[in-house]
Amino acid sequence: MRMRRLPEWLVLLLPAIIVTAAVVLIPLLFSLYSSFTPYKLTRPSTLWIWIGTLNYEKILADWNFWSAFGRTILFLTVVLNLELLLGLGIALVINRITWGQRALRTIIMFPMMFSPILVGFQFKFIFNDNIGLVNNTLQSLGISDAALPWLVDAKLAMFSIMFAEIWMSTSIFAILILAGLYAIPRDPLEAAEVDGCTAWQKFRHITLPFLMPFIFIAMTIRSLDVARAYDIVQIMTGGGPARRTELLWTLMSRTGYVDARMGLANAMGYVSIILSIIFTVYFFRKLSAARNELGMGG
Amino acid sequence: MVRSKITKVLLSAVAVSALTTAAHAAEDWGKFPGMTIEAKLIGGQQYEGLYGRIADWEAATGAKVNIISKKSHFEIDKEIKSDMAAGTTGWCVGSNHTSFAPQYEGLYVDLKSGLSSAQIEPYVDGIIEASTVNGELLMLPRAQFDVSVLYYLKSNYEDADKAKAFKAEYGYDLAVPKTWKEMKDQAIFFADPPNFYGTQYAGKDEAIVGRFYEMVVAEGGNYLDESNKPIFNSEAGQRALQWFVDLYQAKAVPAGTTSYVWDDLGQGFASGTIALNLDWPGWAGFFNDPESSKAAGNVGVAVQPMGSVARTGWSGTHGFSVTNDCENKDAAFSLVHFLTSEESQLAESSGGSLPTRDAVWEANLKQAKNGDDAFRAEALAAFAEGANHAFAVPKIPEWGETTNIVFPELQAAIVGDKTVKQALDDAAEGVDELMRESGYY
Repeated sequence: MRMRRLPEWLVLLLPAIIVTAAVVLIPLLFSLYSSFTPYKLTRPSTLWIWIGTLNYEKILADWNFWSAFGRTILFLTVVLNLELLLGLGIALVINRITWGQRALRTIIMFPMMFSPILVGFQFKFIFNDNIGLVNNTLQSLGISDAALPWLVDAKLAMFSIMFAEIWMSTSIFAILILAGLYAIPRDPLEAAEVDGCTAWQKFRHITLPFLMPFIFIAMTIRSLDVARAYDIVQIMTGGGPARRTELLWTLMSRTGYVDARMGLANAMGYVSIILSIIFTVYFFRKLSAARNELGMGG
Repeated sequence: MVRSKITKVLLSAVAVSALTTAAHAAEDWGKFPGMTIEAKLIGGQQYEGLYGRIADWEAATGAKVNIISKKSHFEIDKEIKSDMAAGTTGWCVGSNHTSFAPQYEGLYVDLKSGLSSAQIEPYVDGIIEASTVNGELLMLPRAQFDVSVLYYLKSNYEDADKAKAFKAEYGYDLAVPKTWKEMKDQAIFFADPPNFYGTQYAGKDEAIVGRFYEMVVAEGGNYLDESNKPIFNSEAGQRALQWFVDLYQAKAVPAGTTSYVWDDLGQGFASGTIALNLDWPGWAGFFNDPESSKAAGNVGVAVQPMGSVARTGWSGTHGFSVTNDCENKDAAFSLVHFLTSEESQLAESSGGSLPTRDAVWEANLKQAKNGDDAFRAEALAAFAEGANHAFAVPKIPEWGETTNIVFPELQAAIVGDKTVKQALDDAAEGVDELMRESGYY
């Protein structure tokens, strides 16, 4: 009796399939399952109690969750756009420099090398109302005689955590856009120069369209990153005061690890994935459109 | 029991060094050759000194201690919860705290099963009671008993002009505050922001809820009723929260106080820019040390103020527990007993922390009284008085979770997003839902 042999392609792919299933698929399915249970870390037996969609119903009716959801969208939108503008500016400036470009490229990557926790502590100190660098500088220069509550006031606190996030990650945009600038063919730019185009016209109609695929790739990567913003916010404000800087991940981590309500936290995680999916789909569509415009196909 | 009584007599009769020798000679820690005890311990400067003594226990018993994790209490807490979820609870000894103990259901063994009543009797009764959940003694307390008292800058009470101005404004003599109202008045009076503040308070997490709880009780209310239903949104609760709000609105506290926890408060008072500071015993030495504090030499310590009904003290105690899954429980019992023994507590409390054994309290008070350190004597007397009014948090697994519901609402009232009543009603609604879900009523 002959044993049925698996097709070769499947045999070759099997190790990858098994590893992917073990480290991605099974944990994903497990967390999805647990979101339908009242699973508490401190009561492992609760993992086997099925409560249907109760966690999801709770989340849908939870004003604090949707406030954090909205705040995360705001955070994401402002941070991504400012990082893009600053990254683009830095890349354009570095691209023009003819001496010391390599050293500068390395220097602008420094903030990326810091751990987010370290960055959080650094800016927590810088923005401290009492002993912080910013208030002391403002007071020493006579600009303000008040202790500005950088990490307390609703607007200032959001500004402070955005500032820290932007400081740390703008260089990602700068490096990716710089790679795009290096890839732009010289011919169209030289032709535009011969035709008498201004610097703005060359940038708007030649450089920018060539950069758009790079920009959208950077946007996609960073949108996934920023939607999971946690370390910096947790260290600087802990989501407070009064939930003024609460983002999805500070809320989820408190629910899951401090309150030990992992079932509910996982349900929050699955609802919040909607956000990442929307941004990813949007940026991929934009990326395809940008590539089509350049005649690079969808 | 007899040996314990004799030890007590000895403790009260001789100096601390002699006591240490006597206690050392009296204890038999057992023999556990070749055994290894895995431990997860709280880390941090004030806790590390005790761990240096583990080598003595190893030498006496022949066992080894392998510290597999050493982190802050909040990080250890998360790690232990993950261990419980993963079923990896085969390690033996864990740091614990009276506020955390009730939530680790089924993790730790009842220490009464491994220690005799004579061995448990020398600890302070109230702390043993706070360490007992559903009739099970879940941890043995180390010399890290926490109740907060009032640290203040003495110079503010030695200035005749200030005294005159205060009396003119408030109608009574300026003296170290005896009530929460007096403390509020004085904090507002002393404040000169942004250079100097009247007081400060921990403004987030369990830290602010604990202080609020203490004040609710001092105002005649309570946090939960007997069925664990939230009742802190009472008039007493509103008066308690109003105290925080008034200080914040008057700018008598730093604007960032809502993000402060213990280290921020300690560093703030040590900077010499805070007039009145409610804080823990572990900071006493730090505040009066010229190396670490600008307030050194100018620090007074007094019992915590009282509310309109009572003087209260939200308190907690660090300790050590033994897991149910530990394979060498006898050795683990011996280790936690050793770490909380008289000699260990004498050594640990010499750094300024408060003991949890009656005999060590007596020895420390006597030594301070007879010694030449007036500040230490003043601080110990204040903490001894403060401890008389101390109580632990409700012994339910949901305590921590309730604080995560309540603290953002307290903050909302403080920063002006909600009225005091609205904030407390919203917090009570959230806690009520949690308690219903947990099956209390």
